[in-house]
Amino acid sequence: MTAPALSGSRQQGAAPLPSTYTPAPGHRFKVGDRVVVKIRFPPGHRRTPRYIRGKTGAIERICGAFANPEELAYGFDGEPKKVLYRVRFLQKDVWPAYRGPARDLIELEIFEHWLELAEG
Amino acid sequence: MSKTQPKKGAADIGGDAAGPVDTLDHGMKFWERQANGLRSVMQLIKLIRTDELRRAAEDLGDQYAKLEYFERTTSALRTVLIEKGFITEQELTAKMAEVRARFDVPRKKELPVRKQGAKR
Amino acid sequence: MSKHTHDYYARKKQGHGHDHDHGDHAPGEERDEGPPSDYEIMSRAMQELLEEKGVITAEQVRRRMELFEEELPYRGSRVVAHAWADPEFRKRLLADGKAAVAEFGIDMEADRLIAVENTPDAHNVIVCTLCSCYPRSLLGMPPTWYKSTNYRSRVVFEPRAVLKEFGTVLPDHVTVRVHDSNADMRYVVIPMRPQGTEGWSEERLAEILTRDTLVGVTVPRVEK
Repeated sequence: MTAPALSGSRQQGAAPLPSTYTPAPGHRFKVGDRVVVKIRFPPGHRRTPRYIRGKTGAIERICGAFANPEELAYGFDGEPKKVLYRVRFLQKDVWPAYRGPARDLIELEIFEHWLELAEG
Repeated sequence: MSKTQPKKGAADIGGDAAGPVDTLDHGMKFWERQANGLRSVMQLIKLIRTDELRRAAEDLGDQYAKLEYFERTTSALRTVLIEKGFITEQELTAKMAEVRARFDVPRKKELPVRKQGAKR
Repeated sequence: MSKHTHDYYARKKQGHGHDHDHGDHAPGEERDEGPPSDYEIMSRAMQELLEEKGVITAEQVRRRMELFEEELPYRGSRVVAHAWADPEFRKRLLADGKAAVAEFGIDMEADRLIAVENTPDAHNVIVCTLCSCYPRSLLGMPPTWYKSTNYRSRVVFEPRAVLKEFGTVLPDHVTVRVHDSNADMRYVVIPMRPQGTEGWSEERLAEILTRDTLVGVTVPRVEK
């Protein structure tokens, strides 16, 4: 299905476009903040992989506020929503034995309740 | 204080040592496309959530690594459908016997009879 | 396109549909070869029960299957080809993937898209280590390798070695960015546009934007 290539201006009265992002009122961290992923091992459904827990990175962008998957997985509504961030890490800060170049990166999405501001 | 961490979730495999990637895409068998279609419909009409399916797959524990992708997702769907009362275990067992009979799976080493356009 | 392309849908389009590894069928055929596994039987049984109870219809399932097979796999290459051809669209795609794709006329349903661009200094590769999250509404079903435990485990800690297995070798001055699609976002890579494609139509550009290039395990190639 192809659509005519719009130049970026939209017709009057057109419905707003859906967005990747949602509002995140009261978000705790801002882009560029150095943050550390909490070291916790709660059982059950978690979307913070083990390999990133305890690691330090920087907020790359604020994705918005989303229903908590840790609760949705068990039939709850996941409210109140939690702020989700993309966090950027240097690979060498994540894997002690990383063999690639020092600037290689790994980026993932971490919920606010899994993050703390890094010291220093 | 315990020095061991709780057991890793079955799906939490980022960073695990593993073998070479089979880089050829093998596509999907017909039944896998059907399984995907079924899951997709149930999610589309919001009767089940992705988060619930993920959690049910993770709860496969030791089975997780032994099953192939669509075997896992089918097991997970089964769990969630029963949990939510859409079907019962007994109904499923009975229906599976019925489906199996319709496929006319032989006990001896004969070519299975394929019934084109069989009523579903 | 090389017959060694890893891309199932590219091969299918070219008509290389009849190897033993997948279940391409003429219309009207409804079975795979060989006896059904317990899981196939389970899946069919679940569908039939849900139909009998009036929860779903066979038609709904059939339409989703058709969408996944005939429509979804071809959207991503059209969107990224358009980004190559139209720098303003490219900027909008990078700023808000879901909005830009909607503007292009594609409904991404629940998926939230982040587009990441390859540059001379950076190469992006996507994975979902925890399951198989993937922008299905833009790319269709993920390839079998993407869902494999070997890919999921290894690409996060040795991406360059994994990329090499796909035939992609990156010099050290190119930063590799791995994106683990572990929550609500879904990702598509905007590859670098190769030399030799100047003046190409979007349709022609889309042909070299195979699904594997949009996940980041290979780069688009111009066949001589």
